[in-house]
Amino acid sequence: MSEMNGKYPEDMGLRDAPMIEGEHDYGTVTDKIGSIVLDRPSPRQWYIWGGIAGICLGSFLVSFCWLIYKGVGVWGINNPCGWGFDIINFVWWIGIGHAGTLISAILLLMRQRWRTSINRLAETMTLFAVCCAGLFPLLHTGRPWVAYWLVPYPNALAIWPQFRSPLVWDVFAVTTYLTVSALFWYVGLVPDLATLRDKAKHKLAKIGMGIMAMGWRGSAAHWHRYEAAYLALAGLSTPLVLSVHSIVSLDFAVSIVPGWHTTIFPPYFVAGAVFAGFAMVLLLVIPIRKWYGVADFVTMRHMDWMAKIMLATGLVVFYGYLMEMYYAWYSGNQFEIALASNRLSGDYKFWYYALIFCNGLAPQVLWSKRVRHSLTGLFVVSLIVSIGMWLERFVIIPVSLSHDFMPSAWGGYTPTIAFGDVMFFLGTFGIFLGGMVAFVRILPMIPMSEIKHLLHLEKHESHPAAQAETVA
Amino acid sequence: MKQAEPKKSIEKPLNLDEVRAEISRREGQHWRGIEDALQTEAYREALEREFPKQTAPWASDLDRRTFVKLAAATLAMASLSACRPKYADKIVPYVRMPEEITPGLSNYYATSLRFDGSALGVLVRSDTGRPLKVEGNSDHPASLGSTDVFAQAAMLELYDPDRLSSILYLGEPSTWDQLTNAVNAAMKGSGKKIKILSEPICSPTLFGQIQKLKQANPNVELHQYQPVSTDNEFAGTEMAFGKPLRVRYDFTNADVVVSLDANIFGAGSGHIRYTRDFMSRRKMVGGNKQMNRLYVIESAHSITGGKADHRLALKPSAIGAFAQDLAAAVGVSATGPNSSDAKWIRAVAADLKRCGGRCVVIAGRNQPAEVHALAHAMKHVLGAVGRTLFYADPLPMQETKQLESLRSLTADMNAGSVGLLVIIGGNPAYDAPSDIGFIDAMKKVPMIVRAASHSDETGFHSHWQVPLAHDLEQWSDGYAFDGTASIIQPLIDPLVGGKSAHEILALMAGDARDPYQMIRETWDAAKDEKLWRRRLHDGVVGKTEWTNVSPILSALSQIRPAAPASGTELVFLPDETIYDGRFANNSWLQELPKPITKLVWENSIELSPKTAQKLGIEDTMGLIGGNFHTTKAEVTVGNKKMVCPVSIVPGHADDVVVLRLGYGRTRAGSVGNNIGFDSQYLRTSETMWTAAGCSIASTGEPYELVSTQFHYSMEGRGLVRMSPIGEYLKKPDFAQEYDLEDEEKPMGSENAEEPIRLSMYPQREYKGNAWAMVIDTTLCTGCNACVTACQAENNIVPVGREEVRRGREMHWIRIDRYYEGSLDNPKMHMLPVPCMHCEQAPCEVVCPVAATSHGSEGLNEMVYNRCVGTRYCSNNCPYKVRRFNFKQYADTTTPLLKMLRNPDVTVRGRGVMEKCTYCVQRINAARKRAKKENREIRDGEVVTACQAACPAQAITFGNKNDSNSAVARLKAEPTNYALLKSLNTEPRTTYLARITNPNPELEG
Repeated sequence: MSEMNGKYPEDMGLRDAPMIEGEHDYGTVTDKIGSIVLDRPSPRQWYIWGGIAGICLGSFLVSFCWLIYKGVGVWGINNPCGWGFDIINFVWWIGIGHAGTLISAILLLMRQRWRTSINRLAETMTLFAVCCAGLFPLLHTGRPWVAYWLVPYPNALAIWPQFRSPLVWDVFAVTTYLTVSALFWYVGLVPDLATLRDKAKHKLAKIGMGIMAMGWRGSAAHWHRYEAAYLALAGLSTPLVLSVHSIVSLDFAVSIVPGWHTTIFPPYFVAGAVFAGFAMVLLLVIPIRKWYGVADFVTMRHMDWMAKIMLATGLVVFYGYLMEMYYAWYSGNQFEIALASNRLSGDYKFWYYALIFCNGLAPQVLWSKRVRHSLTGLFVVSLIVSIGMWLERFVIIPVSLSHDFMPSAWGGYTPTIAFGDVMFFLGTFGIFLGGMVAFVRILPMIPMSEIKHLLHLEKHESHPAAQAETVA
Repeated sequence: MKQAEPKKSIEKPLNLDEVRAEISRREGQHWRGIEDALQTEAYREALEREFPKQTAPWASDLDRRTFVKLAAATLAMASLSACRPKYADKIVPYVRMPEEITPGLSNYYATSLRFDGSALGVLVRSDTGRPLKVEGNSDHPASLGSTDVFAQAAMLELYDPDRLSSILYLGEPSTWDQLTNAVNAAMKGSGKKIKILSEPICSPTLFGQIQKLKQANPNVELHQYQPVSTDNEFAGTEMAFGKPLRVRYDFTNADVVVSLDANIFGAGSGHIRYTRDFMSRRKMVGGNKQMNRLYVIESAHSITGGKADHRLALKPSAIGAFAQDLAAAVGVSATGPNSSDAKWIRAVAADLKRCGGRCVVIAGRNQPAEVHALAHAMKHVLGAVGRTLFYADPLPMQETKQLESLRSLTADMNAGSVGLLVIIGGNPAYDAPSDIGFIDAMKKVPMIVRAASHSDETGFHSHWQVPLAHDLEQWSDGYAFDGTASIIQPLIDPLVGGKSAHEILALMAGDARDPYQMIRETWDAAKDEKLWRRRLHDGVVGKTEWTNVSPILSALSQIRPAAPASGTELVFLPDETIYDGRFANNSWLQELPKPITKLVWENSIELSPKTAQKLGIEDTMGLIGGNFHTTKAEVTVGNKKMVCPVSIVPGHADDVVVLRLGYGRTRAGSVGNNIGFDSQYLRTSETMWTAAGCSIASTGEPYELVSTQFHYSMEGRGLVRMSPIGEYLKKPDFAQEYDLEDEEKPMGSENAEEPIRLSMYPQREYKGNAWAMVIDTTLCTGCNACVTACQAENNIVPVGREEVRRGREMHWIRIDRYYEGSLDNPKMHMLPVPCMHCEQAPCEVVCPVAATSHGSEGLNEMVYNRCVGTRYCSNNCPYKVRRFNFKQYADTTTPLLKMLRNPDVTVRGRGVMEKCTYCVQRINAARKRAKKENREIRDGEVVTACQAACPAQAITFGNKNDSNSAVARLKAEPTNYALLKSLNTEPRTTYLARITNPNPELEG
């Protein structure tokens, strides 16, 4: 590691800290990033993580086949807890995706230059996270082979989906999200693909990159249209960051289940999603920047920013937890009160307190600059937050269901492990990790074109004219 | 150019000399042609083709092994042929339509089911010759149209794939002819005794056959035994009146009922009628202001105790003293031991005296004869005889001392004096008291013929096993609890080759008549075809074997029940769902939650909370992740020990260990084998019902019980609303207060006369029928008949212990059991919960594919083949009545089980949601009838399965738009309330609040 990792000079304001460290010009940027794809041998860790992803994918295949063969009864869901790991994982994965979109789109629109070096990685993470997420609502149905009935399509049955159901809204939200995210990701890739096409020596890479670059030649007209399209897609994605998780939260908020039926869910879920998403970005970026030596582009300044966003969204989420308890008390509604007290003192209280620790207390250490600037510290906090966000969905979904209106119907939820819930969840990590592993190997993980743009700006930062210049 | 065909070579040229020689060799025989005489190959082939039998005759010395091989091969081939649809070729319509059978239309036939030594009249639905569903026979006094769990589960008994399906000799298939030869030889044999052991017989024809056989062969003797015997009842009357008597109660006349450990609403002959009669005096509707009062003194909390206005939990040995004290207080004898709660005795005695003979004091089967005698004496003294109860001499076939009968049989068997033992029904090898040593005695009998539905424990120790025909497969007859005779007619030919008891007796007697002839001779001696048909049609003969006798009370001074014992006592009780084990292989009954403990698929040691505390196990028990974890404990009686899991039942008497019979069977069948523990092991002939001086100690071994309900408390949610009658009369709409107290009432409705309706969605208009249901919680005993009836009607599949453990039971109607009040003697509430068919159904709005939608008549309809299976509807159902097929639960391959399915109801596959439909198939059937006759559906024309079965008549169904309908009238009752009204779901199923009739003297 070349730079002054984690030891910023105290006098150096973050505003002034460089977003690209080390001595770089356009050539070195291309070399450094492009060579990862084109000719540098993969580091040992790549093989290790590839192996882990392979194992997880295997477990996915096994548990997937078993699930299709036997039915969703192989999971721990039951009556009253009709949803368990399936929907927990769906919400968790889709939440993770949000950081990607936030970084790509909103920060782009807000002209946050620091997003540049991490946005590609974050967007890719979004794509695979949404893929993992999408599997759950599809496969959690009793008869997944007819799940397409949720899609409004002209059909001989002359029957439409039931548009009052939030699950139908989910279908729209998630498919739109996936489509726009994929487009945004791909459009951003085009200039880089062209660069790689030009640099590639291997014939396969030349052809592959060439096809994907869609004839990009870097002409002014290309750039002009590219910028316009990119901005338009950013504009399209921006409401999605808010809408997708809002709609996911409506799956719960629209219902009448105590613990679900609450109006704070949409903002609280969105904040939670961003919170979880940044945690996951950190979890990915911290090791990758080390293994691939791209610390010059993903600097401590990025880490610091991401930590701060985590801290902010974490506080929103924590506020949500407190409000849930407060509302339960303030409503005077016996069902809400019973549910709240069940969270605090019921069968699953341990998980509730674990959640409060993970998402409420642990992120508070991010107030400290020392922690924000310690990679280990950030990694640990991110891990805790990721677990915490999973627990949040656990506490919301099965724990609320287990304790609703009819005391006679109260039950519990125990996930199955082998061939069941845990194995399937692990399996989706196979998809996610496998995707990420493949991505860092075959596509540039840091947007070269944007880094070059940034480099240009950084180099001429002192120039008064450049300071006035806009990024987009 | 045509080529000449090559000349066929002649393999065997004709040689006429040979022919001549052959013909002359067969001197005097006919010859058909030269080929015949030649016996050429071609001729042989032709012969084989034409008459295959003649060429390869059975070797006359076919040995057993070859035969069995061939039989096995035949069976295999036969099963192979069954792998394809039976009628794969062509479906040809009937050339001659069988009279009365129209595919798609059901016929109902009256018959009876026998249980506990008496007959229950039923109507059985038959579709194209296939019996499908049992309903009560409203003409039959034991039923009056209602049934119980056992009658409802009879259909699965009939179609049980584990039934014994062929005659077995030493475990090998044999034939009826071989059995005939063997029995004939044994009957003629050495002059040793020929014993017949049966469950209690109620068939006069069968008894006549036995009598005849006895006359013909003085060595023949009949014994009757069942583990839940009526011995104490008869012994009690004998003690009180000097002779055993039958008793029949008329609860419609009883103002005060005192139960001394009698589970009136539980099981046993007459209980359906008793429930109906008792509850007819408790209907607080239509301005009725009076109701009867029930005192229950019992050791183990029963469903009868749950309905009690006052309930006292006493150790079994203390119940005798209580009876004595009460008897003294009502004037039977001078003094009692004065060991009971004086306040109770005073209050109950005063109540009994006040009602002028309109009372019943009834003792349970598990109470000793002395308590029965005291109960009779009290009724006598109080003047109840002839008002609320009647006596008659026992029927001639009734064995009043069953245990004695079994004991003497065993003694004879052990003495080696029994040459042939025929065991019809029952299962003595499993359920005889353990000290009698029935199995050992069986080994000393040279020939045992066992007729039973399954190859069970007794069959295992018998030489011959004969499949016994189900009551729905045979001609027979039987007396009901009140002596009413009814004819049993078969609904179907024996499915697995079963033989009826009549046939076995006929075989023994060499009687050539078939059972039909015998029954007809018994009930149609005059050969009056019209009368015979009427009797068959009604299911009731009209002849009642009941002549009231007025017995004279003996001196009762010497009746002294045993003094209350100290220490822990053991109580044996029949299981609430599988009874004495006879239903162990019936998965419907195994999966039926026990009314009180809500356990399924197993039994447990039931202890009161205090007893459990004493044992120091209460902290090892509890819920973990929604599953009920407990500890095993060791029960020791004498030198016998048994380790079994413990469950805590609030309301059981302290220092009492309750064990349920019927579990731990080893040869019940694939369903019932090796589940639970066998309490019979601890049960001896001396301790048939209770055993004093038992001890119990925790082993600390953890165990997970499977229950369908874990939470006892209503959490103040007003699910069951109760008021004593006094309060009710002052404030009839007390049930509405719960809603007013509820803080979530719709805004703006505080002072308005009409509550303001808050909904985003427009109010639907129901112009025609608006189906609705009212369930009266005053009447519901929690007997489960509705649950099993629903299961039978709606093709609901049992899912097995493991799936229930996971919380996936499929019952469309469940009975919630709640406790209220103190932990040690709580009030128990039963709340049947089917689908509420909400007008603003939360399930409907969240289904993404409109698989659950609102019907024009207000039914919340489930479209199975549209269901994707997101389970969102179930999550959003506040009543949690939706059931999901998490796996492929329905068995669609076993042929016998296929026959069980109701053709009007879809068999649900994996991955779809299901729930109560208000028996929509019955509504549709009624609609068709009404349309054909160009009229509206009449009130009472649609009867749901649960409603039909209910012995308490707690369920009413109908069109609430018709203000004259029964259901609309009940909905207008001030006690009518909706569950979770504050959620604004506007349920169609509502409840009538529970009204009790406590004695003010015992209050406070």
